[in-house]
Parts: sequence; C-alpha cells; structure tokens
Amino acid sequence: MKRSYLGEFEEIVLLTVAVLNERAYGVAITDELDRQTGRSVSISAVHAALHRLQEKGMLSSYMGEATAERGGRRKRLFTVTALGSRALHDIRSMRDQLWNSILPNALPAISL
Amino acid sequence: MKPTHRTAPPPFADRLLELFCAPHLLEELQGDLHERYKRDVMRLGKTKANRRYWRNVLGFLQPRAGLPFVLKRQATDYSSPSLLHPVMLRNYIKTSLRSLTKHKVSTLINLFGLTLGVTACLAIYLITNYELSYDTFHPDSERIYRLVGEAQYEKNGEKHPVGFIPVPVPGAIRKEIPGLGTVAAFHTIESDVLIPNGDEKPIRFESRRRTGGNADLVVVDPKYFDIFKYQWLAGNPNVALNEPFKVVLSEQKAHKYFGDLPLDQFLGKDVIYLDSVRVNVAGIVKDWTQPTDFTFTDFISLATVRASQLKNEINLDQWEDIWSASQAFVKLPEGSTPAQFTAQFQRFSKAHYSKDFSFTPALQPLSDVHFNENYDDNYSRKAHLPTLYGLIAIAGFILLIAAINFINLSTAQSVQRAKETGIRKVMGSSRANLITQFLSETVFLTLIAVLISLALVKPILFAFQSLTPKGLVVELFSLQTGLFLLGVTAVTSLLAGFYPSWVLSSYIPALTLKGQTTLTGGQKGYLRKTLIVFQFTVSLVFIIGTLMVGRQLSFMRNKDRGFSTDAIVSIRPPQTDKGPVLAQKIKQLSNVEGVTMEWFPPMGDAYMVTKLKYHGKKRDVEMDASVKVGDENFIPLYQLRLLAGRNYVKSDSMRELVINATFARALGFQKPADAINQLIEFQDKRYPIVGVVADFHEQSFHEKIGALFIANMPQARNIGVKLATTGKPMNEVKATLASIEQAWKSVYPDNKFEYSFLDDSIARLYEKEQKTGQLVNTATAVAILISCMGLFGLAMFTAEQRTKEIGVRKVLGATVISIVVLLSQDFLKLVLIAMVIASPLAWWAMDQWLKDFAYKVSIEWWVFLLAGSIAAGIALLTISFQSIKAALVNPARSLRSE
Repeated sequence: MKRSYLGEFEEIVLLTVAVLNERAYGVAITDELDRQTGRSVSISAVHAALHRLQEKGMLSSYMGEATAERGGRRKRLFTVTALGSRALHDIRSMRDQLWNSILPNALPAISL
Repeated sequence: MKPTHRTAPPPFADRLLELFCAPHLLEELQGDLHERYKRDVMRLGKTKANRRYWRNVLGFLQPRAGLPFVLKRQATDYSSPSLLHPVMLRNYIKTSLRSLTKHKVSTLINLFGLTLGVTACLAIYLITNYELSYDTFHPDSERIYRLVGEAQYEKNGEKHPVGFIPVPVPGAIRKEIPGLGTVAAFHTIESDVLIPNGDEKPIRFESRRRTGGNADLVVVDPKYFDIFKYQWLAGNPNVALNEPFKVVLSEQKAHKYFGDLPLDQFLGKDVIYLDSVRVNVAGIVKDWTQPTDFTFTDFISLATVRASQLKNEINLDQWEDIWSASQAFVKLPEGSTPAQFTAQFQRFSKAHYSKDFSFTPALQPLSDVHFNENYDDNYSRKAHLPTLYGLIAIAGFILLIAAINFINLSTAQSVQRAKETGIRKVMGSSRANLITQFLSETVFLTLIAVLISLALVKPILFAFQSLTPKGLVVELFSLQTGLFLLGVTAVTSLLAGFYPSWVLSSYIPALTLKGQTTLTGGQKGYLRKTLIVFQFTVSLVFIIGTLMVGRQLSFMRNKDRGFSTDAIVSIRPPQTDKGPVLAQKIKQLSNVEGVTMEWFPPMGDAYMVTKLKYHGKKRDVEMDASVKVGDENFIPLYQLRLLAGRNYVKSDSMRELVINATFARALGFQKPADAINQLIEFQDKRYPIVGVVADFHEQSFHEKIGALFIANMPQARNIGVKLATTGKPMNEVKATLASIEQAWKSVYPDNKFEYSFLDDSIARLYEKEQKTGQLVNTATAVAILISCMGLFGLAMFTAEQRTKEIGVRKVLGATVISIVVLLSQDFLKLVLIAMVIASPLAWWAMDQWLKDFAYKVSIEWWVFLLAGSIAAGIALLTISFQSIKAALVNPARSLRSE
C-alpha cells in the first residue's frame, strides 16, 4: 500500500486531535483519550506519538496562548494536515470495504 | 500570576527535565507537566502528585523506537552553533588576532616568555630523551646485565664497587655458575692501527686516546655476539671469532681502513694492532645507529690473546688485580632474577679469594650502565641523572613563570575586556563559548611560541654545545617529539589560559555594561600577588644558586693548591725507553726553565695508592698512601714547599723518599722535622725519609688531602716541562712549543706530538661543576628576564589604571618622587616576601650541592642579601621606567579626558 504506516496508538491519537479540533494539546489529548477509550496513558507516550506524527507530516502545530496553571508557559496546539486526513480516510474506507465484504452471519452473533 | 509555592512540582525533577530536554521542546512539555501536576495535587494530594510528576518526567527519558525524542536538539535560527563548528573556529581566530594585536605589549611579553619556556622545555626534552634512550634498543635488553662487583684490597678493608672484573672471572663463572646463562667477556684496548699497504709503509690510524674518539677496539669472546645482536653483512657469525688472529669489523670502520670495496672483499684482509698483532678480517657487521655506549668497531677474537703480544696487555691469569678495561656481560635465562645469584656469587668469592685481595661479583642492569657512576669503566659516557632531573625542573619552572606572566597580564586586562564579555553575553554567548574563545587566544599564542621554538631549538642547542651530551641527535620531526609538543601546547594553554578565561567569562553583563568592575575587595589581585611572589622566589633561588656556584668555582680556581701550575706542559711520550732522550733535548731549548721525568703531575685524574709500613718505636703503622713519581727535578719544578729536610738526590732508582705533612702526622710525628731519616718499608725494602713537603691537593676539591709520598721510580716515563713565560707574549710560548715539537719529531718521527697544559687538565677535573655553573647562569638569566617582563607589563598596566589618581595627587601637591615610591612600593613588598621564602630554600639546595666538596666556601648571609638587592634592583629598574613615566605626565592632560 502506498500510504505510510500508521500504528494503532498513532491512529487513535490522530483521531483524538481531530476530535478536539483546535484545542488539541498534550494534556487535553491525554484526558480525551482517557475519557473516550478508558485507556490511561502517560503524557510522555502521547507526546512521543505527537512528535512522530508531526515528523510524518500528518500533524502540524503552532504555539498557543499561555495560561497561569502552566506557570506562564505556552501550549503547543496540533491540527491534522491534509496528509493526516487522507491517512485517516484511507484507513476508514479500507475498514468499510472489509466490513462490507463480510457475509451476513459469518461473524458469531454477540448480544449488545 | 506566579505559581504558589505550595503547588510547585518537585524542584529536582524539574531541574532534571530542564537539563536533558531539548530547548525547543522544554516550554510545551514543562507546561503540560505543570498543568497535569496542578490537577493531580487537587485530586490526589501532594505526595501522590509528586510521585506522578517524577514518573512523567522519567517517562520522557524512556526510549521508544530509538532515542527519546526529547533529547534531539533542533537547529533553529537562534540556537548557538556547536563550540567547534568551523564558523565558530573562524570567529575565534579572528577575535584572537584582533585582541592580540590590540594589546601589543602584553602579547609580545607573553609570546617572548612562552617561546623561551617552550624552547627550554623542548631542548631539555631532546637531551633527556636522548640520554634515556641509551642502549634501550637491544633485543631482550631487560635480561642483559653487566658483571660488576665489590673489590676489597685487604681483609676487613673498605669495599669498593667496581664496574670491571678480574680477567679470569668470567671464564670461571661460566663453569661454576651455569644457571647464569650466556656470559661474554671483552677487553677494551687502545692502540694505533696499521693497515699493510703492499711494499710501502703501512697506513697508520691513530688511537682513540690521540683522536679523542669513542672506544673502538675490543678483544671479545665470541659469545659477545650472542648477547648484543648485530646484523652480519659478511662472514659467519658462528665461527668468525673462534680462532686466534681474527677480527670482525663494523661496516663503517672497514670502509675507513680499506676504502670502498664490496663487503665480501674485506674478508681475509690484514689489520695490525699494537704494532705487531696481525689479524685478518673474518666478518663485517652493520654499525648500530641508535644511541649506545658500546661504540666498538673492531672486535678481535679472545683466542688471539694467548697467542700474541696481547698477553702483555691482558693477563688472563691475573686473579688478584683489576683493570677498568676488562668487562663482562651476561644474558640471564628467561625468568631468572639477579637476586637469586647473590648466594652463588658469595660462594664463588670465598672459593677463589682467601688472601688480602678479594672480589665478589654482582650484576648491574644494562639500563643502569649509562647512569651509575659507582660502576666505572673506560668506555661509557656517564649521564648524571640528578643533573637531568635538575634540567627538567628548570624547564618546568621557566614554563611556569611564563604561564604566570600570561595569567597576570590577562587577568589585569580583564577589566578592560569586561565590556566585550558583557556584549557577547547579551548577544547570546554561553559561558562555554566565552571560555573557548579566550582559551583559543592562549592556544593561538602558544602555537606561535611552539613554532618559533621549533626554529630556535637547533641553533640554541648548538650554542650550548658544551652543555649538551656528545653525539646528541636532534630529531625534531619524529612522532614522539610531535606528541611531546602537543602535550606542552595543551598543558601550557590550559595552565596559562584557563584561569583568565574563567574569570573573564564570569562577568555579569548587567554590571559590566553599566561600567562597574566586578572585582570585590576580597579577591583584589591576591592571586596575582601570590603568583608574582612565586616568580620572584624562583628567580631568587636561581640568583643565589648562581652566586654560590660562582663562588665555589672561583674558590677552586684560585685557592692555593700547594704547588705551581703556571706554564707547565705535560708531555706523554709513547711507551719506549727514548723518553729521557727527549727530555734531554727539551732541556737544552731556550725558554725552558726546567724539565722533570715524572709519572703524572701532582694533580690529575690518575693517581696510585700503595701500602707502606713504618716500624716505629712504640707501634708499627701500616697504611695506604698515594704515590707521586718523579725524578729529582719534580719537587723544584712544581715548587712544592719543603717543611723539613731536603729533596732526594739524583739517582737512577728509588733510594730515598719525601712525604707530605699529613703522612708525617699520620705516622705519629709531632713536627715534620721528626720524620727525617726515619725508615719506611715499601715493597719489602726500607727507604729513608729525607724531606717533608707541605700538603698539596692531588685530587679535585671533592676529596680530602690524604697521606702521600714522592719518590723516583721506573714509572717516571712522562715529561713535565716548565716554560719561561713570565712577561712573555703568547706567540713566544707558541714558538717554544713549536721547538719542543721539533725535538719530539727528531725522537719519534712516526708519532703525533701531543701535550697539555697543566692548568687545562686541572680545569677539566671541574668540568661537571663548570657545566652546572653555566646552566645555573643561563637558567637565572632566563628566569629573571621573563619575570621582569611580566613585571614590566603589570607596572605599565597599573600606571595606566591609576593615571587619574596620579593626576589628582599631583594637583594636590605630590612630588614626582613620592609618586614613583607609591607606584613601586607594592611591587617591592612582593620581592621582599619572595626573599623571605627563597632564602631557606636556596640555603638548603646549596648546602646539598656543597656536600660533595671536601674543600668549599661557606654559605654567607651576605649572599642572600646581595641576591635580594639584585632582585629588588632589577624589579625597581623595571617598574621605575613605567612609574616615572606616569609620574611625569602633566595632570592637566590626564584629568582632561572624559
């Protein structure tokens, strides 16, 4: 496949950045991940993933405003780039295609 | 808003993060962490929050697929480039050049001092390296030992270490102590060499003694070549020296004897030693090129000795006597140590010596041969290790003094450069940047100094030839020398540059840019003062050394030796019976006052000690006494003073003898006159004492005057000539010498005329002291020169700094003199302190040096005072130039500026 490889955690982080829309920075992403997926992840892991995604060109960032609780330090806000958006869409369409190819009753039924 | 103290995260963890985190990431990461910390404190309490904070910080260091990303530095427009980036290096060089050319005087002072220091280091390194490399190139050299020993001339007598052995000992040891490994004996000989030249007269090569060359002729055991490895160019090493009348030559010597021939053609050619020992060449070996004491080039087979005239020179059965010519080396088997043979050597000694004389063998490592003066011989040149260490110390001190100049001048100027530091810091320079920049100035200067001294060292070594070892090879462009210079550059740069650059880079821009100098009272130049005191202490010790060595030298030159040395020429005719004929001819020459047949003059290296018996009324005395041999003209010619009795009368053999006052006292006579007509037993015959002479020095002033007697004996084969020179010009002396040479030629047409003035040969006894004197003089001059240049620079600087103060003082009525005093007294105080420190040091050092002399000058207090005044005078002279200049400036001018 032509698209660059995206790890599972990277994919979720990328999606969370999209979810937070303009408000995505380290702590906020960590909290959102916790809330949406119930996973407790460390800040450093999130930052490492953000860093990698930016290196891959799927995220862009800029420095936001400073707040008091941060001791006057600015936050780095992330937005998904076109490349990132393409990657997310590719994954999604590939998944949809696979779902559509599954015959009815091929998967064991689960009660929701 | 400031975060309150209560909610601040653990400071140490924060510091850790700041330390490792890349600068461009720090803000966002620290912000996130602090934000999370706040929430954690509220939710979980401070303790848990702190723990989480730590975990988070450490989490950034956890490697995820390679290095943690927070460690990666990012190149931005604003980050400083690495310290050694080419751009920065170019900048360092440029700024160094600018500041060096701006402060021309101090740059010149520093450059001059550093060049002298580095040159001294380099020269001394070359000398030391040369001396220490002697005979280190032999394969298995750590297993090679020289057979030496202790000789005892009478039972229970004093044991003397000797570097040589009785001739038959090596052979016997080889048989009796087989565990010793390879044993090889050799004997040095001295002889003219004759090369047969067809029907014509043979070509004569003069012996080493006449040409002053290295020891070259040896009679060797074939095993010699098992111990010392030579490269054989022709001949068979296994059999070459097994037979009598064989010789192996070195390649160069063979070319010298026979001219340019192919190597194989040398074999079988004849060489004649000692006028009659005809041997033929059995091998050619390559000359060694590395420094060595084994400079032999003619190896005559040991088997030749018994079969030829050589047996008169080398008595193979003489157990009871030792000559410095007879040597032996051993190569121990692997794993043996010299200590394990001590007991065997003692047994060996017991087995062979039961009478008066005894000899106990011992082993001396090869590496010791070049340095140990206790084990004497007649071929190696001894290097004096303490002198070498002294040299190294001197070089170190000179370099240190030069480095101190640098430190003093640059810290003094640092105030002027404080603004520069401030601007640089404001522009974003880090402290490391600044230190590198200032250090690069030092490195730059040191490198120039090294380059200059590379050019200077050869001419300087040449100029000090008398102080450098003979045969010194100067290899400037070897790897070793390169490494040494690199080390010197690094050490000097750090020594001289680190402290100033540390001080310079420490200035706080906010203060320096406002024009405040940051020197507080506590550190007001104390370091600089201490360093000046140190410099002057070193200089003073050198000055005192110069004075004392000079005094001792002139004492040795001028003290009455008890005999006359004026215009006395010693001539050593070849060993034939024609000596008296020559003496008679010389006596008839005009301008010759007197001639004596003698063995040696009253004073010189050579002397002989023998045993004498005196049967007194109360007790018998048996003691050693030195012998002076000469005919009836000996005592008058040397103007020895007779205290009692008379000179012995003319006779062909020994009939009477004259003793010295010390001997008379030792024999128990109250007055010299009491000794007259007493009988002394010498070699089983009794001779009457006919006269007593006043004591005179027969050895250098290192030795005490001992008992001595003078008599006519057959050894009196040499000639002492007293020239009539009083008031005569030098060319007349030359004419006299020329006529003596003519007389010589008529008696010995084949031999070269050689002579020596007694004054010169006595002066040669003090060669080492003369060298020490020269060395101390040079060191003193250099040390004083560098110290004074530093002082000059500092004085100039202080005078400049205090221009305004001086102006104000003058306006208020100060005189020129009071200002000069004001400016000088600070420095003079330092010289005074240096004197207090230097005096005991110098006293101790001189006391150690003088211990070697039996007759010496005392260390007088005025020497210290004189040295102090010299130092103070020189310092004053240096400073006064600047201080007078400063004091004379018109205050209207110095106060107008600003």
